[in-house]
Amino acid sequence: MTTKIYSPHDFPAYLPKLNLLYDDLFSGGKGFRSKLVQMVADPLKIDSKTQNLLCQTVEFIHNASLLHDDLVDRSQLRRGKPAAWSKYTPEYAVLAGDYLLARVMVNLSSYGNIKLVQFTSEMISDLLEGEWLQDSVVGDFFVTVEQLDRIHNLKTASLFKWCLRAPFIAIENYDSETHRILTEMGTLLGQLFQRSDDLLDYNIRNDEGKTVLGDLKSGYLNSFGAFLSQKLERSQIDQMIKSQNLSELVAGLGSSSQPGQVYFDKKVAEFDELNSGLIDLYQHLLNELSKKLSADQQAIVTAMKPLTEILYWRRKPN
Amino acid sequence: MSFNSFKTLKINEPLYQDYLWGKGEVRSSGQISLPIKTLNLGSKDETITFQIFASHEIQRPPFLVYFLNLIKLHSFALIMLPLFYVLVKNFVDDRLRDPLSICFAAIGIFFLYAGMNIRNDILDHINGYDRVNISNSNKPISQGWISAQRAWWLSWVFFSISFFVTIPSFVRQPELIRVVAVCLLLLFMGHFFQRNSYKSSRLGEALLFILSGAGVASGLQVALGGGIDTEVLAFGVFWGVGVLFLVYINNFSHLLTSYQAGLTNTITTLGFDKAKVFLISWWAFFCGLWTLYHYFYSSIIWTIFGTLLLVFWSLPLMGRIHQTKSPLSSDLSYLRKQAHRTFLVMVIIFFSEYMWYLTDKLNWMP
Repeated sequence: MTTKIYSPHDFPAYLPKLNLLYDDLFSGGKGFRSKLVQMVADPLKIDSKTQNLLCQTVEFIHNASLLHDDLVDRSQLRRGKPAAWSKYTPEYAVLAGDYLLARVMVNLSSYGNIKLVQFTSEMISDLLEGEWLQDSVVGDFFVTVEQLDRIHNLKTASLFKWCLRAPFIAIENYDSETHRILTEMGTLLGQLFQRSDDLLDYNIRNDEGKTVLGDLKSGYLNSFGAFLSQKLERSQIDQMIKSQNLSELVAGLGSSSQPGQVYFDKKVAEFDELNSGLIDLYQHLLNELSKKLSADQQAIVTAMKPLTEILYWRRKPN
Repeated sequence: MSFNSFKTLKINEPLYQDYLWGKGEVRSSGQISLPIKTLNLGSKDETITFQIFASHEIQRPPFLVYFLNLIKLHSFALIMLPLFYVLVKNFVDDRLRDPLSICFAAIGIFFLYAGMNIRNDILDHINGYDRVNISNSNKPISQGWISAQRAWWLSWVFFSISFFVTIPSFVRQPELIRVVAVCLLLLFMGHFFQRNSYKSSRLGEALLFILSGAGVASGLQVALGGGIDTEVLAFGVFWGVGVLFLVYINNFSHLLTSYQAGLTNTITTLGFDKAKVFLISWWAFFCGLWTLYHYFYSSIIWTIFGTLLLVFWSLPLMGRIHQTKSPLSSDLSYLRKQAHRTFLVMVIIFFSEYMWYLTDKLNWMP
């Protein structure tokens, strides 16, 4: 099923710059979250109108968070184009983000499922808490992976959890055990997605050509950075922070007994192994979910099985 | 590892308790089951996913290391100092009437304390505190070094030793029975009324204050035949305030997870910013009590010298609390270390002071 996430006709034509800003914002995104919603919604036989509402909801919230995030981080580019705040002023970026969130509430409340409205509101507040907390650890180069996991669970995984659970709520399936499993699975997908994204910053599996060391240079030690620096000397961490490029960073990790590249590769392998453990847990939960679904809903399990390949290893499934 | 090495169980399933306590089927098959941590807090569902390990997959430190870790030897200063204080104070005042009784009571309280520390770890494991919180240390049960079941038996062994060793003290100083009865009553109150151990609720904090301060000091005082006096009670109050400060610092470092899990203690009620002000005020209050105690019961030299030393060491701690930026930052780990260091310095100052009185009494002074 194809869904139309954004149409200029859904927004008031008389507001200056609003549609231009949204035209820029909604072009170029992969729409992964709405695909995830469809993956779950299709086997549940949810009608196309409701699916469209769910997809629109998650993409609107995601894009609202990007508008605000870019301003908070002072990021100049979004999807290869000038970020909204720099092109249309910070005030318009904030208002455009707020407006998307308001539209979400208007659309969802018209749908009439109060639990869906409540769940969505909780997700938005989690997202904002995550943003808030992330900002509070900028400049902290001794933060731990476990601490960052808490932030990512709020900031990144909350949307994944919503994608998995919202279709069930839309068909009024409130089975607590099913939702517990979906929540844990969403958390794992969010964590894996975030950790894989954090590896891109260190040029690991960076086929998209994402800017290398962008996070580190903006004062944010991401999850791989935290993992990499776990057992380093204070002076090595100082050098890591000051590194202008990856080769400089890698060279600084070396010691008399071990070249920096060897240490770096070892840490990447350990990080992958750590995340393979999360993938195993995800597969276990998928089995648990399978027990809760009817025969014609098993397509959800089939569709979700290769997600970790895509999200963490960035490989196309066979 | 494979996804077969996980098992999800609900509270009403027969194997749930076996996996949680490491007994029954799990134990007989030589496996170790550890609950998986969750980032999703506040859920009322009683379902746990366990990761199953073969016994050889768990890397245990040498027995002595994990045993000392289990009984939390590093925290024994919390009962050693009150014991030292009571002994020296009464010796100096010529009121150490029953040395044999205090010896038995001291051994008894060590075993009791060790047993309670083990029990505390078991509670954290069973209640799910370990599953939701960011770990600050390697707890032997959550690391799989010992099962909750074995730790439970070990704690009973310690409690039994404590009881039997203290019997001579009860016989020689019957007054001690009353003090212990009150303390046990408070302990059971804490045990039965708290959802998540003493450190996670306001009533628990109050009980901890009484038990760790006045409870321990007056119990030891009675055990040596000294009888409770205002000086001992004053010490108990300022010591209890100090111990509670460590609890508050610990709760502060778990503020986010405790709040998300719906736990109510002083720190979660205050919130991040007000809790920082509260922590600074609480330690300042402690320093005030220290000064007052010394003013009334100690020499003027130690009142001035000790207070100045304590304040000097406390200023960086207060600065650290003030500068803590986030409930999830590395600041928290440094803050905890600095708080423990400052507390230890306070203990050393107090110890030195009472060693001074002791050497003076024994005419060891040059």
